Amino acid sequence: MAVSTNARAIAAPRWSFPGAARTSGAPAVMPAMLGVPVVGWQAVFFAAPLLFLVIVTFWQVKSFRLEPAFVLDNWSRILFSATFQRALGHTFIVATMTTVLAVLIAFPAAYTIAFRLPARLRDLTVAFLIVPIFSSYMLRIYAWQIVLSPEGMTNSALAWLGIGALPLLGGAFSLQVGLLTLTLPIAVLILVFALSGIDNTLIEAAENLGCRRSRVIAHIIVPAVRPAITLAATTSFLLAFGDYISPLFMTGSKPPTLSILIVDTVKSGSQWPRASVIGVAMLVVLALVVGLGQFLARGRTAKAGAH
Amino acid sequence: MDRMLLTRVSRLTQYAFLAALFVFIAMPMLVIVVFSFDANRFPTIPWGGFSLQWHRAILADPMIRDAFVNSVLVGCGTAALSTVLGFAAAYVDFRYRFRFKLGFVLLVAIPPAVPATILGMAMLAFLSRIGLFGRLETIMACHVAIATSFSMAIIRLRMNDLSRDLEPAAWNLGASPSAALLHVVIPFCKPALIASFFLSAAVSFDEFLIAWFVGGVHETLPVRILNLLQGQVNPKINAIGTVVLVISVVLVLIAQRFTGVRVGRRSSQS
Repeated sequence: MAVSTNARAIAAPRWSFPGAARTSGAPAVMPAMLGVPVVGWQAVFFAAPLLFLVIVTFWQVKSFRLEPAFVLDNWSRILFSATFQRALGHTFIVATMTTVLAVLIAFPAAYTIAFRLPARLRDLTVAFLIVPIFSSYMLRIYAWQIVLSPEGMTNSALAWLGIGALPLLGGAFSLQVGLLTLTLPIAVLILVFALSGIDNTLIEAAENLGCRRSRVIAHIIVPAVRPAITLAATTSFLLAFGDYISPLFMTGSKPPTLSILIVDTVKSGSQWPRASVIGVAMLVVLALVVGLGQFLARGRTAKAGAH
Repeated sequence: MDRMLLTRVSRLTQYAFLAALFVFIAMPMLVIVVFSFDANRFPTIPWGGFSLQWHRAILADPMIRDAFVNSVLVGCGTAALSTVLGFAAAYVDFRYRFRFKLGFVLLVAIPPAVPATILGMAMLAFLSRIGLFGRLETIMACHVAIATSFSMAIIRLRMNDLSRDLEPAAWNLGASPSAALLHVVIPFCKPALIASFFLSAAVSFDEFLIAWFVGGVHETLPVRILNLLQGQVNPKINAIGTVVLVISVVLVLIAQRFTGVRVGRRSSQS
């Protein structure tokens, strides 16, 4: 075994081939040929733009033109501005609310799908949940406008029944409706996949030992899918925190979220460095939240394993 | 007996909750389709009667036609390229171990997690700097950067079922690496490749912020809708929406048909 590992190391010093230990003449040019175009593409159209965004935050705008420089002015101006701070707080709270709501709504729904529905119906519901993820979010928000607007569907139906109009659009409620439209299908899907993977024998054992369903859920099912719950929560936060469409159409940008602020700053002339600062600040917040999620998922699982 | 009743009520509540959630998810799509056939100019209840006037109106609108053609071109290009790149990325991940592998996988996997507003702004800033702003090809290139992530995920999932010894066996029998790839790996991955093609097309077909930022004068259909939405109420939007929804749904369903995702519950009874 040691010899073959060694031989592999000589044949391909930089690359190794899992499952191909006994093969000589393994194709060492292939990974370069296949990998380089991918790396190149992602470097030019994804990594470089983001890197450039960070660099631009230190640049200057002189007579409406972007010029290379190294100034901290953009950072201090944005970070200390009341508008930015308010938008950051607002966006953070809104995204946290969406996250909590999404998990609280998605878990029982996913539970029913995974444990109560027959197999065929389960596949159908999965298809039903995948479709909205890839079909125009912007249009779905526009549809909610039709449903919720003052003279819209709900209110004209209420008027028809002789009930007065409700102020549905333009507040926290409509914003959450919009953001949950974005996050719920994904959160439910993640949890359905996780719950479907739980070994039934564990649950049956607990039930045979006289555990009630609520105890089984609290002590077996939830701990087993904790990483998936964290993933669903982080994804919901990520989507809600960065969303542009729901704040724009559901609340009319009042108060503005960070995404709205970015677009407004870009539109309002050549304030690219300041818009970039907002973007980078958002990415930092998102990275912190994702890191925290990873920490929580791992920490808890490790603890659960130690018991 | 009491316990049985309780269980029944609890089950009923669960089904009702799930049904309510599905109504919430389906509602917006239904509203778009139903009101696109409404004769009224403004979407209200009661419905104004069946009419195809808005669908006819979008057919006659040259800006919408152009946007549609742009979307199809960008979508097809994105689908083809991101499937090729996604396959390459999935294969490299499947077959090789190397030093910066985590970085490699993240470089492909992360783009969809970055908010499109930030990504669009960054792409516009950088790509206009290197003279790529405002072309149809630029929109496509940016969409590829996102869609490749989905392609890699689907194709990599399929490769999990490919025996790791199959290819080395082909090499030992004298097949060149590329021959083994062409005659062993690619045929095996074919359903995932088809799924990836249609899903990438769907991703591109619905993306609007990046297309809006980097497209310049070239509008894709979602960008056209975004611009229409920011103007006055326009009954044509429901009709365009119906077309867009039907196309996305068809693309996703074809993709799903080929991935064959099954959500199985491991049960000791069955």
